Amino acid sequence: MKDLWIVASYTFKDMFKKKTFLISNLIILLIIIIGFNIPNILSAFNTDEGGDTEATTSKELIVDPQNVFEGNLETLNTMDTGYEFVIENEEVSFEEIKERITSGEIEDAIVISKEGEQIKIQYIVEDMTMMDGVPESLQDTFTEIYRTMQLSKLNLSQEELASLNPNFTFELQQTEEQEVRGNVLVIMLLSIVLFYSIYFCAYQVSTSITTEKTSKIMETLVTSTKPRTIVLGKTIGIGVVGLIQVAVIVAVALICAKFCLPEGMLESVLDVSQITPTLGIFTVVYFILGYTTYALLYALTGSTVSKPEDVQTANGPVAIVAVIGFYLSYFTMMNPNSDLNVFASIFPFSSPFCMPFRIMMGIATPMQLVLSIVVLLVTILIVANVSIKIYSNAILNYGSRVSLKDMIRMYRNKDDNNS
Amino acid sequence: MGLIVKNVNKNFGAKKVVDDISFQIDKPGVYGLLGTNGAGKTTTIRMILGILKKDSGEITWNGKEVQRKHVNFGYLPEERGVYPKTKIHDQLMYLARLKGMEKEKAEESLQYWAKKLEVDQYLQMTPEKLSKGNQQKVQFVTAILHNPELLVLDEPFSGLDPVNTELLKNVIIELIKKGTYIIMSSHQMYSIEEFASDILILNRGKTVLQGNLKEIKEQYAANKLSLSTNENVDEIIQKAGLTIYHSKDNDYTINLSNEEDGYRLFDLLSKNHVKVDKFEIMKPSLHDIFIEKVGENE
Repeated sequence: MKDLWIVASYTFKDMFKKKTFLISNLIILLIIIIGFNIPNILSAFNTDEGGDTEATTSKELIVDPQNVFEGNLETLNTMDTGYEFVIENEEVSFEEIKERITSGEIEDAIVISKEGEQIKIQYIVEDMTMMDGVPESLQDTFTEIYRTMQLSKLNLSQEELASLNPNFTFELQQTEEQEVRGNVLVIMLLSIVLFYSIYFCAYQVSTSITTEKTSKIMETLVTSTKPRTIVLGKTIGIGVVGLIQVAVIVAVALICAKFCLPEGMLESVLDVSQITPTLGIFTVVYFILGYTTYALLYALTGSTVSKPEDVQTANGPVAIVAVIGFYLSYFTMMNPNSDLNVFASIFPFSSPFCMPFRIMMGIATPMQLVLSIVVLLVTILIVANVSIKIYSNAILNYGSRVSLKDMIRMYRNKDDNNS
Repeated sequence: MGLIVKNVNKNFGAKKVVDDISFQIDKPGVYGLLGTNGAGKTTTIRMILGILKKDSGEITWNGKEVQRKHVNFGYLPEERGVYPKTKIHDQLMYLARLKGMEKEKAEESLQYWAKKLEVDQYLQMTPEKLSKGNQQKVQFVTAILHNPELLVLDEPFSGLDPVNTELLKNVIIELIKKGTYIIMSSHQMYSIEEFASDILILNRGKTVLQGNLKEIKEQYAANKLSLSTNENVDEIIQKAGLTIYHSKDNDYTINLSNEEDGYRLFDLLSKNHVKVDKFEIMKPSLHDIFIEKVGENE
């Protein structure tokens, strides 16, 4: 037991001393800090030259030479559109509009004309590359102003006018008993964070074992302690590093969200009330279980290679399993009441990425939760048993990469007493 | 009691790599384990250290089965290895702690042996910045810093320059004086001959010769004569009916079938007024015995 903590502690310290580890994490934190400060950075670019932080209002020209809107367009300036509307009732040529847009006097222009009963509204912009038509908001605004103008001519009473604007309330209901809560964006975001943190932490175990094997220190190590202690100690050491890594990333993200984002911006994107302590605890539990499963699989593959260049090939099958597990969980989350999502939350290679979100959505039953954790624990025991046996036999193999046939032979090998 | 290896066997699949090996080390000192490449030396060592399980037989240390908890052993493997990117001090401390040493004791021992092997100035460096010889000395420190009772040295001198070889030899002498049991495996016969009192020669997993080195040598008749003269004496040697094994600048190594042939040659040299600087009748070296024994079994 003492050896286990010595290995874990050494692995833990060794990870933190690696320049690549520190630099890559600093880059991640920097990206998070910059990401959360994008609104501030953009607003800094919008300030006046003299340092005035008040944003300038864009001017929009409306040309209505036939007075189709009978002077009612002034109401546009009472609306909170972020634009100042300059209304002109004289003819303005296309060339003149172009000149005024180019000089920056106006941002764009709306030209209104009427031929018989047909009212034509032209929206003239500098560059329409990124537009797929006249904005709907603009169409709706002009339609509403014109409709109100026409209605006012009918001399209707206030009640009659009010009755033309029905007060509908639209509500969504489901026949299923379980109610699904949750914001797709939150689920997607956390799912990706959880997958990458589990996957990359587990991958470190493989790298660490291969380094020991390729540097030939393994033989000294296995005479100092049991192979089982090395595998489990490494798994614990790197796992703790991973947990701290994720905790720091989440903490920095939360601090940035609180202090760097404009007020109310985070709440408008995420439903923060869904992030509860219970969800936090289960996320940590599934991180630990998921990480342990994949770390032990990577310990196995890491011990089968003798050359660093073979690591990626050897780790390929585990990566495929992890990606299948992730996508199984990710795509079935769109339909969380499906049998496939329930399966994904219990299947040990996908449940770490899936179950925390079923808990978050409030659709995980206690039975499913218990079953999922039990299946993961049993899987960890089986994977640990197989990995440690193969590891114990494969670490002293300095020849070509260990094949599947060799692994089966090693698993059956009675030399496992050394594990 | 020491180490007892009794009728030990090991197969890898259908291939027998260690075939009924037995030996005993009952006093501190160096025991030489010799053999050609693939003779089964490393497999034997790995079984003694518990890295590999024997198929049959018995390996005991002071009457108890060899396990980490029963024997405090050190090992310098043939495959040299250190953590390339970890500070030497940190990795030595890690391995000492794994061997059960407390921090203070480990630090003390680490500093002592690092100074002895002249690597103390590199303790805060990473091994990737050191020469291979210095890396090897660092690894030697890992094998001995916990003061092992049983030390296994697999090719300890390979790749070392004469100065560092001498340094290592002095450390081995110190360990012997401290009462350490050492198993030394090497292809460099002169180093085994220098340290080992008992030897075992393996060939294809089988024991071809074992016992006390001095007694083994006594069983062999003198077979070489080392001669240095001030002139060319090729003709006199031929006249004496002897064959030259090797000659260079009037230094000769001559094959002998018995000691009398040597004395006969000495008489002839005297009669011819040849000035003799060196005349030594030699018993076969361990190298010769090894070649003979392994050759017999090829």
